[in-house]
Amino acid sequence: MEKVIMGNHAVSFGVQLARVQVIAAYPITPQTQIVEMLSELCADGRLAAKFIKVESEHSVMAAVVGASIAGARAFTATSSHGLALMHEVLHWAAGGRLPIVAANVNRTLGPGWNVWTEQTDSLAQRDTGWMQLYCETNQEALDLVLLAYRVAEKVLLPVMLVLDAFFLSHTMEPVDVPEQALVDRFLPSFEPQYKLQPGEPCSFYGLVTPEYYMELRHKMHLAMQSALAEITAAGNEFGRLFGRYYGLLEPYRLEDADVVLVTSGSITGTSRVVVDEWRARGHKVGLLKMRVFRPFPFAAVRQALAHAKKVAVLDRDISQGLGGIWASETKGALYGVAEPPVVFPFIIGLGGRDVTPESIHKVLDYTVAHDAPEDDTVWMEVKR
Amino acid sequence: MTYQISFRNEGEMPDLPVSSGTTLYNTTGTWRYVRPVYRNKTSPCNVACPAGEDIAQYLGLVAKGKYQEARLRILEENPFPGVCGRVCPHPCESECNRAELGGSISIHMVERFLADLAGGAPVQRLPSNAPAGATVAIVGSGPAGLSCAYQLARRGYPVTVFEAWDDLGGTMRLGIPAYRLPRHVLDAEIAAIARLGVEMCTGRRLGDNLSTADLRAFSAVFLAVGQQKSRALEVAGEDAQGVVAGLDFLRRVNLGMPVEVGARVAVVGGGNTAMDAARAALRLGAQTVTVLYRRSRYEMPAIAEEVQEAQDEGICFEFLTTPVRVLTEDGAIRGLQCVRMQLGAPDGTGRRRPEPLAGSEYTLNVDVLIPALGQEADLAFLEHWAGGGLAQTLSMANGLLETDAAAQSSQTGIFVGGDSATGFGTVAHAVGSGKRAALAIDRYLHGEDLNGFPALDQHVHAAPRDLDPAVVRFADLNLAYFEELPRPEPKQRPAIERKRDFAEVTDGLDEQQVQQEAHRCFSCGTCNGCDTCWLYCPDVSISRVDHSDYQVNYDYCKGCGICAQECPRRAIVMEEELKWKK
Repeated sequence: MEKVIMGNHAVSFGVQLARVQVIAAYPITPQTQIVEMLSELCADGRLAAKFIKVESEHSVMAAVVGASIAGARAFTATSSHGLALMHEVLHWAAGGRLPIVAANVNRTLGPGWNVWTEQTDSLAQRDTGWMQLYCETNQEALDLVLLAYRVAEKVLLPVMLVLDAFFLSHTMEPVDVPEQALVDRFLPSFEPQYKLQPGEPCSFYGLVTPEYYMELRHKMHLAMQSALAEITAAGNEFGRLFGRYYGLLEPYRLEDADVVLVTSGSITGTSRVVVDEWRARGHKVGLLKMRVFRPFPFAAVRQALAHAKKVAVLDRDISQGLGGIWASETKGALYGVAEPPVVFPFIIGLGGRDVTPESIHKVLDYTVAHDAPEDDTVWMEVKR
Repeated sequence: MTYQISFRNEGEMPDLPVSSGTTLYNTTGTWRYVRPVYRNKTSPCNVACPAGEDIAQYLGLVAKGKYQEARLRILEENPFPGVCGRVCPHPCESECNRAELGGSISIHMVERFLADLAGGAPVQRLPSNAPAGATVAIVGSGPAGLSCAYQLARRGYPVTVFEAWDDLGGTMRLGIPAYRLPRHVLDAEIAAIARLGVEMCTGRRLGDNLSTADLRAFSAVFLAVGQQKSRALEVAGEDAQGVVAGLDFLRRVNLGMPVEVGARVAVVGGGNTAMDAARAALRLGAQTVTVLYRRSRYEMPAIAEEVQEAQDEGICFEFLTTPVRVLTEDGAIRGLQCVRMQLGAPDGTGRRRPEPLAGSEYTLNVDVLIPALGQEADLAFLEHWAGGGLAQTLSMANGLLETDAAAQSSQTGIFVGGDSATGFGTVAHAVGSGKRAALAIDRYLHGEDLNGFPALDQHVHAAPRDLDPAVVRFADLNLAYFEELPRPEPKQRPAIERKRDFAEVTDGLDEQQVQQEAHRCFSCGTCNGCDTCWLYCPDVSISRVDHSDYQVNYDYCKGCGICAQECPRRAIVMEEELKWKK
């Protein structure tokens, strides 16, 4: 059924369709409507889930971890400072091999108190052992909730579903809300191998000595690696059932492109329009949309970009002292490629500053005009 | 029990650190050095109730909808819930911890609701344990005498009550007007006591047609003759016609005898008798009723609600004034000379002493003057006491019959109580005093030691619950569980209407409001089955037998104390384990 809904509600519908059993959340702008709608669904019985109000995001993630250990399909949503507060428990969720899905609505971290979009909050959690999926549209936000649970429960690692503040979270778009019966085929109920049961209690997450800790982390590493294939498989299966295919990457007019824009999130849609304009003027420009940040699809990125001459990576994030995080990973993917393309790392649109078609034109102008970036990072549209 | 688990490779390992068997073998209770113990503590309302009612418990029963159980729980201690639910100054509510968060619980209204319930079960008799041949005489059918008769009759004693007047009830009938206490309520509660087999002999006045020799026929005697003598004004002219003492006035009104109030009534005094007399005079047709009080409103001993109701009905109040002379004409009152007062330094009661203002005399036109300055016991019968076959007369102390904690007078076998021995002056105190005497008489007639009764200013219980005497105060509660909720106020008949008759002024609360009150109750110190401990125990060591009984599994309880800390009402204590004690 087609509905015109905001990105936040698209996530809520996805959670409802996934038959999530426990939701714990603490409200934060711009995530609020996700849990607002879910609390209503729980209250009026449309979703048979326990909704736990919690006093902080740290406790939110602890509650969700507890629910997941007990075998429940668990969900939460947060943003920015809320995610930062969860940080410790994110490790327990991943190390505990719990198939939790958490939506993070990208919001700038303070100070400079700011509620607008920026990806630094989620990208800063890259080493917690969570998979990360980035959405471009509201449809993608709904669909990836279902895909996230399917993959998470397969590889036993949690998934962070990431969407832009306001550009997605609060913007209405037509979204196809799939039939429950079809979703149930894609996402059957989940029975974990290890489960906390009061009648037969086990000790979870106790002391592990140096003798075995490394093996546990290696098994996580293998699980993360296997997720690349699982995401691909699940995306294909999703496409067969629902008509919308999702892969690790989404190339656009990439075949013969000399200059490639690498994007993620809602900037992608804007960039596509600009690519079309440059193509119409006869320039060989293409686009690579990143969907999966963890596990980072190094091989797929290498394959997609190996034949380009220049790669312009748009980072709406900043790792101070490094630069753009997507650019860093992209460079890593291209290491060792014979005659690799030149990577242009752009920092753009921080603090929710609008990235317009004009901004993307400037990015391409710069990339075409220079043989190499003039600096480690190129800061776009900064009032110097 | 420990053994080493070795993995040869990561494939043999689980994906996450998890024990490979249950952890039940690990009795973590051995780590404990303090243990949680369910122990109900005392609520401030229970401490404050002069009748010794277990308020915390019966409010809990009301919250569960168990109205009859709640009513019977009151009746264990007090046969007059209908009376006390209306006329008690409810010291329980003054102590109520809820006062800090929306207003104290309207305890008296819950009590009144339970008493007024239709189809209530009859009061419960207890298994008879009266020694063969033991009989008890009670002098006075006020709340003390009838409370004593009730407790003894329930225990199987043949009890005879002697009442000087023709009607039973003492001050409840002679002093309190019907607009505060409808007579059918009083009649029903007295009738329930009579149905226990108590013999009621009215018209028998001690020292008149009831002699001490008559009393000697009984194994034990309880004297509860009350306080019926009004204090005198001690001003010139107070024996004039038209001057009638407050208690005498109220007695005539309450017994339906003819009373002339005239057009202008002045009442002197600031207590409840003054309020009752003023409001009764108004209802009998007085055009103006003025209350004269020598201090300010703040110092008035009357219940604040009574003062407000009197004011609403149009009673005038003149504060800081006192009569100095009754002006008479042909032996009848025609006016009152008064003097203005001012408040000086505090006296022994802590209230500021009123002092006359020189040159401030003024005159008030008055047709009827009702002095209501307080009352005392009329103990004239004592003059005949020793001559009636009893060895010696009873000792006095401060104008009251002397008594010890076991209600014994100075003579063996003669017990005393109520206002003539304690002077507390409320129905609830009298009920408690009568109960104390009954329990003492029961022991006395069994030849048991009478030591160990609580002091006179503490209450006695007929059916005590196992309670830690520690009182739970507001600061002890876990306020995270309580929100501010308002106290419901009952409806009252409009002043313009109610001042014309003696029908009841104040309505009761309806069931919904009573439920609201029972649920607003913190249940200080008394477990009410809220499940908080069960929910919070991180070791799943508390099991719920039903919603009112929990058990701690000490094999696994590590003694973290979260249950005790979290308990909203402090019904769990942490006790040091003996093995750790030095």
